[in-house]
Amino acid sequence: MAFLLSVIAVSFGIAETREQRATIATLIEEDAADRANALSIQEDWGGAAYYAFHLTYEPPSDFAFAAMGQRDTAPWKHRIKMLALEGQIHEADTRNADFGLVGRFDFAFLAAAVAPLLLILLLYDLRASERTARRHDLLVATAGSPQSLWLPRASLRVFSLAALLLLPLWIGATIEGTSLGVTLQASAIVIGALLVWWLIVELVSRIDGSLSVLLTSLIGLWLALAIIVPAISKAAIEAANPVPDGGEILLLQRETVNDAWDLPKEDTMDPFVEQYPEWRENSVIEEGFEWKWYYAFQQVGDQAAAPLANRYRQARLERNRQAGLASLLSPTSFVERSFKKIARTDATAMVAYEDRIRDFHESLRQFHYPLMFPEVEYDAARLEDLPQYDPSQ
Amino acid sequence: MNSPIRIAREEWRLWLRSKVVVAAALIIAVLLAATSVLTINRIADEQAQRLEQQVAAEQTFFAQPDRHPHRMVHYGHYAFRPPPPLAIFEPGVDAVTGQSIFLEGHRQNSAMFADTKAAADLGGFAALTPASLYQLLLPLLLIVLGHAMFLRERESGTLAVLLAQGSSGTRLALGKATALLSVIAIFMIPLMVVAAYSVVLGESALAATSLVAGYFLYLCVWGAIILAASILIRQRAVSLGALVFVWLFAALIVPRFAINASSAAIDAPSKIESDLVMLAEQRKLGDGHNAADPAFEQLQAQVLEQYDVETIEELPINWRGVVATYSEAELTDLLNRFAENRMSLEAGQSRLFDLFGLASPTIAIASSSRTLAATDLATHHRFLRESEDLRFDFVQALNQAHATDLDYTLDMNRNNDAASAEAARINAASWQVLDEFRFQPDDAGDRLARAALPLGILLLWLVIAGGTVVWAARKVRV
Repeated sequence: MAFLLSVIAVSFGIAETREQRATIATLIEEDAADRANALSIQEDWGGAAYYAFHLTYEPPSDFAFAAMGQRDTAPWKHRIKMLALEGQIHEADTRNADFGLVGRFDFAFLAAAVAPLLLILLLYDLRASERTARRHDLLVATAGSPQSLWLPRASLRVFSLAALLLLPLWIGATIEGTSLGVTLQASAIVIGALLVWWLIVELVSRIDGSLSVLLTSLIGLWLALAIIVPAISKAAIEAANPVPDGGEILLLQRETVNDAWDLPKEDTMDPFVEQYPEWRENSVIEEGFEWKWYYAFQQVGDQAAAPLANRYRQARLERNRQAGLASLLSPTSFVERSFKKIARTDATAMVAYEDRIRDFHESLRQFHYPLMFPEVEYDAARLEDLPQYDPSQ
Repeated sequence: MNSPIRIAREEWRLWLRSKVVVAAALIIAVLLAATSVLTINRIADEQAQRLEQQVAAEQTFFAQPDRHPHRMVHYGHYAFRPPPPLAIFEPGVDAVTGQSIFLEGHRQNSAMFADTKAAADLGGFAALTPASLYQLLLPLLLIVLGHAMFLRERESGTLAVLLAQGSSGTRLALGKATALLSVIAIFMIPLMVVAAYSVVLGESALAATSLVAGYFLYLCVWGAIILAASILIRQRAVSLGALVFVWLFAALIVPRFAINASSAAIDAPSKIESDLVMLAEQRKLGDGHNAADPAFEQLQAQVLEQYDVETIEELPINWRGVVATYSEAELTDLLNRFAENRMSLEAGQSRLFDLFGLASPTIAIASSSRTLAATDLATHHRFLRESEDLRFDFVQALNQAHATDLDYTLDMNRNNDAASAEAARINAASWQVLDEFRFQPDDAGDRLARAALPLGILLLWLVIAGGTVVWAARKVRV
């Protein structure tokens, strides 16, 4: 049973990561073709920057098959361009909303939530069934020490459960080329969690109650540790760390960008030059419309929203940090979070991806500003040096 | 006295004496109360906030000064989806989709800032809502209460006595069912209170009642499964173990399995993917910002002929505005074609997911609950469609104003100097073209029709499980 579930979870996971990789591969190709197409008809730097989109993406890690984590609800691909970044980076290109709501049947879920229940069902009657059969005391007496009696039986069950769960994971890891270190870590987490649950079952079954009382208490404990503790911690953490409303970031950015059209040009260029002093000498706008002014107010829009966006980022990281602490109280949360962490599908990884987008956007700026501000003559050939997004940086 | 009622009373007496049962019931009752209060507060806040933001977005739009009309096309607008009243019980997909959308010219954005993106991540079950308590925990409580209802009589030997006294197995089962039913009825009270409160908030009574009825049906299905197990299985612990196993499958494993299976069976491309395919087509339509794009030659000939003039300068309307209007319409057609395709694939995935209700009543109740509460995927899709209509209407009205209210020569010279830029503006009164947008959930009748399939599946479950109980009770021997 455990084996079958594990096979299903692992194969679904592998299929999904394959599909995500295939999607990214197609997107890279189509994105390049689309950019070439868009650039072929441009006649100035500003137009080239306006019409060229660039794909950014976060490929699934070699262990993502075991824990899809936040990849179902947080975006892992964006197409961005030289305009204000705050208006682009929060776009969430996620799949069917029902999927994010219910969650996937992946290995992390199996190991975190289902395996303990299976373990409980396997172990709860070990001692008590003998007691009901009135063999308990006799067995204890003949075995010499209670340890030598229960330990082999229980450990056989625990370790076969672990083996059955882990075998498909190891095969999956081989197929996906997961590094040995990660596989070992994951296996250690699974075994560690099972040992913790074994200890819990062991402690509870010392109660001299009937079988159903034992099982009921164990399920109650599972419920408390898997559902109630995480839910209460989550509610408390989120209440203690409010995040700025995302809509406000966008509104602020939009107002700043749009107001710039009607403001004196210096109102845009001054804050811009403060950020990029190297273009001070090229910052006088003489005509009604110049591309460098246009991109400067896009930049200033981001600058205005930066404190708010930064607070949003910080609050997310802080929530995540506290959730990490709280998960020490719940083996279920701990296992799931650890899996997401080593699979790089947790909140930290998602924020790191956003940081990479910001870096890439900055490199786009660094590419375009020296062409636009000193008003270098347009030369399509130079666009071949456009920065390329590299997910590993 | 009527014997089923006497049996039920006896059952209650036993439950009240058991510490485990009382403790479990109390914990669930406290949880229910706490999550209900928390969810009600959160949803009320969100509702007020979204409405406020919607009004504020409209007012800032109207308050914009005189300017070039195309600037307003890019200034854009926001549409907000306030949670429906029943979201106090079932928040549904709203937390995943995000509830606001930015509307601007030439683009269809997706909804932004889903709560889950910034949530503290504590694993799969941490998002506790009243609905998930009813779906997951109450069946477990019923299992604890009911797994040994028949077995107890069997184990203590009273079954033989009862049967010898002439009580049939069916009568006995009826009594036990009454006891279980009374527990279910008690636990329906919080839901009924929440539902009644949602009616006060403006929900239709039909939707609220159907929701209550749906959950009642769901819990009865579990009651019947539990009763059947307690009649058919001969050992208490085995009965409990087997029922927990069934719960594990129905509540945890099958729903997630169904998600994986339906996403693997129907591949719905993401927005970026379909956008890239679309962009290739879009480039053929021409760029609406560039009135000299060769793509508009035919349109130009047609318009010149219509007004019987030789050059675009002689037209009584602004050629640039005409191009903007024309290309926005063409583009929107294209955008909508792709968006509809994406949405229909997603709807297909969700329909397939609903069919897995045949393997798990939890899926059936979850689907009908989201649908009846108007927090399902279909409602989100309607929000996307309606906000798209809003977008198209105001963008086209602005393009119309561009064509009729702004002189072509002034428009062409707008970048010459500050004075020309000043001249190429239209009156702020033109911004009044924006429609007021207040998203409303579907009519209760429509929701009920949409929930018919999962509710039907639940009913089927009840018939099968109830049938098993009757069949098993008839054959009860000592």
